[in-house]
Amino acid sequence: MTTPHSTVAPAISAQNLTLTLGQGPGAVQILKGIDLTIPAGEIVALTGPSGSGKSSLMALLTGLDRATSGTLTIASQPFTGLSEDQLAKARRGRIGIVLQAFHLLPTMTALENVRVPLDLSGQTQNADQRARAELAAVGLSHRLHHYPAQLSGGEQQRVAIARALAPRPSILFADEPTGNLDAATGAEIINLLFARQSETGATMVIITHDEHLAARAQRTIRLADGRILSDTAA
Amino acid sequence: MTAASAAGQGPIPPATLWRLARAELSTRFKGLRLLMLCLFLGVAALAAVGTLGAAIATALATNARQILGGDVELAVWQRHLTPQEQAALQTYGPTSTGTRLQSMAQASPQSPAVPVQLKAVDANWPLIGHLILTNGQNVGAPAPNTAWLTPSAADRLNVTTGSKITLSGAPVTVAGLIADEPDRLGEGFALGPTVIVPADLPQKAGLESPGAMYRSKTRLACARTCNPAQIAATLKAQFPNAGLDIRTPSDAAEWTGTFVARMADFLTLVGLAALLIAGLGIAGGTASWLDSRRPTLAALKILGATGRDIAQITRLQIAAAATIASLAGILTGAAAVPLIAEALNGVLPLPSTPLALAFASPLALAKAFAFGLATALTFATPALASASRWPAMALLRAQLTPTPAPLKTLAPPMALGLTILTALTFANNAPPKTTALFLGGAASLFATLTLIGLAIRVLAARTKPPKNPIAALALANLHRPGAQTVRLVTALGFGLSAFVLLAVIETSLAANIDERIPAKAPDYFAIDLPPESLAPFTSKIHAIAPTAKIRAIPMLRAAILAWGPAQNQTRTADLAQLPPAAWALKGERGITFSDTLPEGNVLTAGTWWSPNDPTPQVSVDEKLAQTLHLHPGDTLTIGLLGVERTATITSLRRIGWGSFGFNNVLVFNPAALRGAPYNLAASLQLGPHTPQTQTRLLQLFVKDFPLVSVVETGPILRDARTLLQQISLAILAAASVTVLAGLAVLAGAIAAARARRTYETVLLRVLGASNAQLATLILAEFAALSLILAAVALALGTALGWLVLTQVFDFAFLPNWPRVLAVLAAGLALVITFAAAASLPLLRTKPAASLREL
Repeated sequence: MTTPHSTVAPAISAQNLTLTLGQGPGAVQILKGIDLTIPAGEIVALTGPSGSGKSSLMALLTGLDRATSGTLTIASQPFTGLSEDQLAKARRGRIGIVLQAFHLLPTMTALENVRVPLDLSGQTQNADQRARAELAAVGLSHRLHHYPAQLSGGEQQRVAIARALAPRPSILFADEPTGNLDAATGAEIINLLFARQSETGATMVIITHDEHLAARAQRTIRLADGRILSDTAA
Repeated sequence: MTAASAAGQGPIPPATLWRLARAELSTRFKGLRLLMLCLFLGVAALAAVGTLGAAIATALATNARQILGGDVELAVWQRHLTPQEQAALQTYGPTSTGTRLQSMAQASPQSPAVPVQLKAVDANWPLIGHLILTNGQNVGAPAPNTAWLTPSAADRLNVTTGSKITLSGAPVTVAGLIADEPDRLGEGFALGPTVIVPADLPQKAGLESPGAMYRSKTRLACARTCNPAQIAATLKAQFPNAGLDIRTPSDAAEWTGTFVARMADFLTLVGLAALLIAGLGIAGGTASWLDSRRPTLAALKILGATGRDIAQITRLQIAAAATIASLAGILTGAAAVPLIAEALNGVLPLPSTPLALAFASPLALAKAFAFGLATALTFATPALASASRWPAMALLRAQLTPTPAPLKTLAPPMALGLTILTALTFANNAPPKTTALFLGGAASLFATLTLIGLAIRVLAARTKPPKNPIAALALANLHRPGAQTVRLVTALGFGLSAFVLLAVIETSLAANIDERIPAKAPDYFAIDLPPESLAPFTSKIHAIAPTAKIRAIPMLRAAILAWGPAQNQTRTADLAQLPPAAWALKGERGITFSDTLPEGNVLTAGTWWSPNDPTPQVSVDEKLAQTLHLHPGDTLTIGLLGVERTATITSLRRIGWGSFGFNNVLVFNPAALRGAPYNLAASLQLGPHTPQTQTRLLQLFVKDFPLVSVVETGPILRDARTLLQQISLAILAAASVTVLAGLAVLAGAIAAARARRTYETVLLRVLGASNAQLATLILAEFAALSLILAAVALALGTALGWLVLTQVFDFAFLPNWPRVLAVLAAGLALVITFAAAASLPLLRTKPAASLREL
């Protein structure tokens, strides 16, 4: 296992992270002490079998869930001990998330969906133009005013990518971004993700089952049973 | 952190929140339609009632001068104004004098005699407004020996224009039928249809002999702008002991105005009740709506929206939906007013144009709108507060356990909302005590229904499940987590209980009017019977109706001028304001004298006088004595035909008002009223009789006692019954809004459970259940709920009805059970039909397709 050494603050720094769900005899320890450092700009793949804790780890790293114990710093912002609302605010403009189920706002058009993170993060100046530009960057200039129900799966995921990158986050997370797509579309999406990451320079963490996809990352962290099994550079 | 991200850490500007709310809100308000429907119903009811009530009140006030017939009216019993009184009034402008009294009208000696209200008017009448006949003519006082008849008088006499009739024996010709009488409302309650005659007819017919029961009315129309209240005060000070009943336009249509105001208050409170029930629907609808928007809320949380942001965005969306629903409600309510007013056409003076009617009270519409908005935001608060606390990760997971917001989060907005609603409730015109009673009663009813709902859940949970799996599932659906039992029992229970309550009260009142009152009340009252005519009157009646019970008492009218200890009397004229409940001090009232204690009266203090005692004495009603702090030994001074008479109070009485006989708050001994001219008033209770007996009696009265006015209680009771039915209809219509609101809550509950029901239906199908079995399950659950609701509504409605009838109205509890049960059954049928219609489409669910989606 090798970890790049840099004097610049790492994008992600986690020490002894644990996550336990439930209480009493029914409690389940999902993560059992994760130590992790990801430098800025690195592309990391998180792999492991089902139930290994990949999605749960990503939930902690994105602030969508709170660790039971341990410390976590994301883009120089301590995430440890923050409330739900504080985590939400911490995500704004700092973290972009692409999920397997797209999670677009169903009653908003593609353009409106991409604009939402700009509004939430206070980047309202020229927000419309920026949103258009993001959608153009993912090849959806002709779908600005379409609702999610009117878009194909691939198109929806493109919108999700545009939305995630619109506020220029320093870190991009993608959880099985091609899980709901056919192979050909999935490949297009992955290529797009990597291209956009290259253009923006964001740190990127991808959860995937796909070994080929993992091979494209600079580093692969393999999880098993809530622990890091291996951490290898490409 | 970039500058942009730093900016994003602060609160989201309102404009941005609104943009997010608007962009995210479906143009068809999908998911919020239940909330909007609930609000629409309640707000429309409030707007309609408030607008109509205000329109009537404004119309009465605007037309007050015309309703009164002048700027000031002086009325006095058994005499006309003295020349001094007349002159005092005429210094302000022209006057019009007339008389009001009972009379018997007859088309021919063979036709039935009809009691009528005689209205004698002089050449100056009407001072204000116009009398319009049915042929369109604008007329004044009728010519000598002619009369204007109301259509109802003409109908009862079976005559028309040109016919000849007699009025207490005096022949007149019907010169026309009245279409519009300008001061009709100001005349007050009348014992018979109106006949307008020239001013001199009563005297020529001998109806104004000393002691006769007639009332003279003299009205003034100011020559210049005047202050009627000031004129009234001046006249009162100038003639303090004259027994004058002085009215100004603000007193005009007093009874009508009070009745309309109380009806409007009551109907407003019913509308508020509907809105409160709607609140339950809103609470459930909001929860369902937010639950259906979990993916959206999850996406917003992922993108960095805080719980507070989500609460604000959804609150804006609810406010937008509530605004549209409330606007639709007030417009619909306003539009309904001209239609309702059509039913009152000719009865009350209302603006003639529909637009003027619909928008007669912008304030009423504004209040209804405010109520709608406040109700929506208040009742949506718990669901909003809960949803804003949903953790991001929980939103992304398949299952979410609803967690109620803690009390400290919930309490401030709920308290604020409830305070605003309470303040708006008190801002209505209903007396504060009535409003407080309503709020307390509604809260108690809601609390009781909620407890009953909870009890049902507990009982259902503890009941051993039946062997039949469908029945077991139906029972389980009453208490399983997320069951809507409590909400449905509260919302539907309120509306159905209101139905039962109204049916119990209405049928009991009708039974009292139809059965109990006629059994006890006399069949006739005869007024202005000369004392010397009593013996022939009695014998001639017994010749026709041998079992008739006749009771006659002297009848005079006097005003209470002073009361209290002999050396320290309080004079009525000196009071700036009459004490509350001292109605007996206002104007003149009926008095009598007797040697014996009147029937149905019980002495509660002092002793009754012995016959022929020469000392002037009086016995006083105990309630009046309590109001005026009177005791045996005190004195009372009355003004009788301009003469003051003082008597010593020697006893107090409790009056049995329910005896329907003659009851007087003041009964004097003969010595106290010696020398005063009087006639007798008699009551006749016929016992078993035929219609022919009645006809013969009425003919006897007209032929042999033409100056005696006879009042039939039968038509009065029939009129009371009709009025009661009309009032009941209006109240039932208003109460229907509460049931509709309850149905909206039911719709919401069914919608909220749709996903679970679909899941259950699909699984049962997979396990082999047939359509019939599934339909049975759905119907069984609602049938069980309906049975529970029936029991709850019947018990609560009946108990409240008993309370109101016996403790408030002091009537007998005589509900018509078949009718009450029919009303309840109709309400329940509506519930079951609605529930089935909303739920049975689940049977069309295709298992394979649903399983793919689950």
